[in-house]
Amino acid sequence: MTAKKPVALRIGETHVQAVRDTFPGSVLDATWQAADQVTITVPTDMLPDVVEFLYYGRGGWLPNMVANDERPLHGCFALYYLLSMEESDKGFVVVRTEVDPATMEYPSVTPRVPACVWSEREAFDMFGLRAIGLPDERRLVLPDDWPDDLYPLRKDSMDYRHRPTPTTDVENYQFLYEGHAEETTQVPMGPLHITSDEPGHFRLFVDGEDIIDADYRLFYVHRGMEKVAEDRLSYDAVTFLADRICGICGNAHSVAYAESVEHAQGIEVPLRAQYIRSILLEVERLHSHLMNLGLVCHYCGFDTGFQHFFRVREKAMDLAVLLTGARKTYGLNLIGGVRRDILDDQKLATIKYVSELRNEVEALVDMLVSTANFESRTGGIGRLDPVIARDYSPVGPCVRGSGIGRDVRFDHPFDGYKFLVGMSARTHDGCDVQSRTLVRVEEFMDSLAMIEQWLDGAPQGPIQAEGWQYTPNKFALGYTEAPRGEDMHWAQVGDNQKCYRWRCKAATYSNWPVLRYMFRGNTIADAAIIVGSMDPCYSCTDRVTVVDVNKSTSTVLTKSQLESYCRRRTHSPLAGKGW
Amino acid sequence: MFKLFKEIRETGDATVEYPFAPYEFPDGFRGKPEHNEKLCIACEACAIACPANAITMELSEDQSLITWNINYGRCIFCGRCQEVCPMFAIELTKEFELTVLNKADLGESCAYEVARCSCCGKPYAVKKEVDYVRNLLSKMGGPAATDIKKLDRCLDCRRLEDAEAFQLQARHRGEA
Repeated sequence: MTAKKPVALRIGETHVQAVRDTFPGSVLDATWQAADQVTITVPTDMLPDVVEFLYYGRGGWLPNMVANDERPLHGCFALYYLLSMEESDKGFVVVRTEVDPATMEYPSVTPRVPACVWSEREAFDMFGLRAIGLPDERRLVLPDDWPDDLYPLRKDSMDYRHRPTPTTDVENYQFLYEGHAEETTQVPMGPLHITSDEPGHFRLFVDGEDIIDADYRLFYVHRGMEKVAEDRLSYDAVTFLADRICGICGNAHSVAYAESVEHAQGIEVPLRAQYIRSILLEVERLHSHLMNLGLVCHYCGFDTGFQHFFRVREKAMDLAVLLTGARKTYGLNLIGGVRRDILDDQKLATIKYVSELRNEVEALVDMLVSTANFESRTGGIGRLDPVIARDYSPVGPCVRGSGIGRDVRFDHPFDGYKFLVGMSARTHDGCDVQSRTLVRVEEFMDSLAMIEQWLDGAPQGPIQAEGWQYTPNKFALGYTEAPRGEDMHWAQVGDNQKCYRWRCKAATYSNWPVLRYMFRGNTIADAAIIVGSMDPCYSCTDRVTVVDVNKSTSTVLTKSQLESYCRRRTHSPLAGKGW
Repeated sequence: MFKLFKEIRETGDATVEYPFAPYEFPDGFRGKPEHNEKLCIACEACAIACPANAITMELSEDQSLITWNINYGRCIFCGRCQEVCPMFAIELTKEFELTVLNKADLGESCAYEVARCSCCGKPYAVKKEVDYVRNLLSKMGGPAATDIKKLDRCLDCRRLEDAEAFQLQARHRGEA
């Protein structure tokens, strides 16, 4: 008799089994894309149950949902709910379901798991897939003047160069007010607020000086990158496009994209390349966190500190130039590895930069924290309730400031993070602006230590994987922890050396939906610092429209008015305007 | 507060004199790509690798010239062209001041002669590339250089020639 050897469970197996046990017959198929990624296919009507069970019942968090037009492959649309399992059996479980192209409808998961709301709104914009029961069916990504029946990411809809004739001349986006004050409010359509960097339209619903609710419209500069990547670029050039998603954390996107393709194709990236990627990811965090710390100084009215943080930040930029040849858009990732090695003299120079940065930032942080304004301007401001956080899956310092230690680097260690010694996710439980700032300070110091560990530990060897085979239609996830939180990329390559579908989720995409809860209960003077503490992909809101719910009047504040009020807290810009 | 004043005093000037003094970058900085038209054999490797389509190749209407173009307005300074160039004919320099008053000045181009097949007269490859290969093969000598005469023929003519030779060989074998 031969005793059967117990088969070691694959990562995610316990979750799949739990779904099978709880909802018999629901798992039509389960396939592993990588060691830590499993995709289960479920019937469309079971979708909300399964996602809710994995989210709340098994400790899952939802970074994103990906819609995909798979009609050329098997005749249906498909939805992929990406779940990051962070309690037991850590890994990724992707719940896939097929949507009938005749009805184009599926049951919305948002009423059960609020974190799906933006993804489901976007799936309608891009594919025309309707989530039945979705509480908020407004457009998310496409502009107001986009034709109703044109869904850009459908495979048969349009060329990426097509620019449809605008259908309307007026903005018709409805801002939602969820407060309880009785008077209804007529909200005027303001002009678009294009700042020097990124535009967005905020609407604060206030009672006097207190913010009751807030709503906002973003995506004014939606660039259609996913469409360009699918149509024009070959899959190996997309790393360079991913570098340009963000001017601050582009490298994190580039790595995430490269790793999604590598996971799908089963490419083993050489160890040295993994170390180099991690070093560059942390170099990026250095300059990003210093920028945010500088901005916190600025919003606290401590502009000298702001200048000094930016002076020190320049060292982090110099370090990037030294290692990559560019201040930003490092452009060093290729599918299968990196393009530049770190040479010995660069290593020595990096160690020197790291120790200088450590000394200077320690001194500056000391000054910031001992500034009288810091405590009063940040303590208890912009509270992100952990319960709200659990519902919406925010990421990065934003959620870690609310006592929840979500960090892809430690939850799902990848690249060099697998080899770190004595590090863990940093959390603070004040839930306020101060906690988020302190998380960033500690992470900055951790980044320096990580860079030192990796420079010492990086093995010699090649930096590019060679001799792998391209297999069409395979898909997988790639993930990195950008300075603002996790970047999650889902990529599927086609049979033409191009991306069949590429979905990139930037960190702040997960954080915007919770902003309105962070606003509530604060005063207008705090609005700028709350947005700033999220470190959104833009921290200056050019203008804010303020609506008084009791008087049904509205007025538009400029960015400089709001900022100066935030810093001085006297001379309300609303004074003298009949408020 | 005193700490802050001390810090300010110790820091001194944090800014540099640029643009009144040159701005230095470390080696390996990725700036303007410089094309060396003498080394270039117009093999098109850079045009294929360029993710931004900044480098393009264009055949003239009568197919006698092929033009290598670069548009610095599209360039993303990734350096892929430098990586793939077999002739080291393109290199990223430290130059970063690319502003021009006229949009057309953002481009550079260079035309190369196209070789015609000695058999059928069709244009088939860049002359410089063919010359380079001929030179390389003749220097290598030995079995590699046995087909050196065929270099001035287009792919179709060479295929035809090979097929005919093979047919002849097969016929001989059949007779034997």
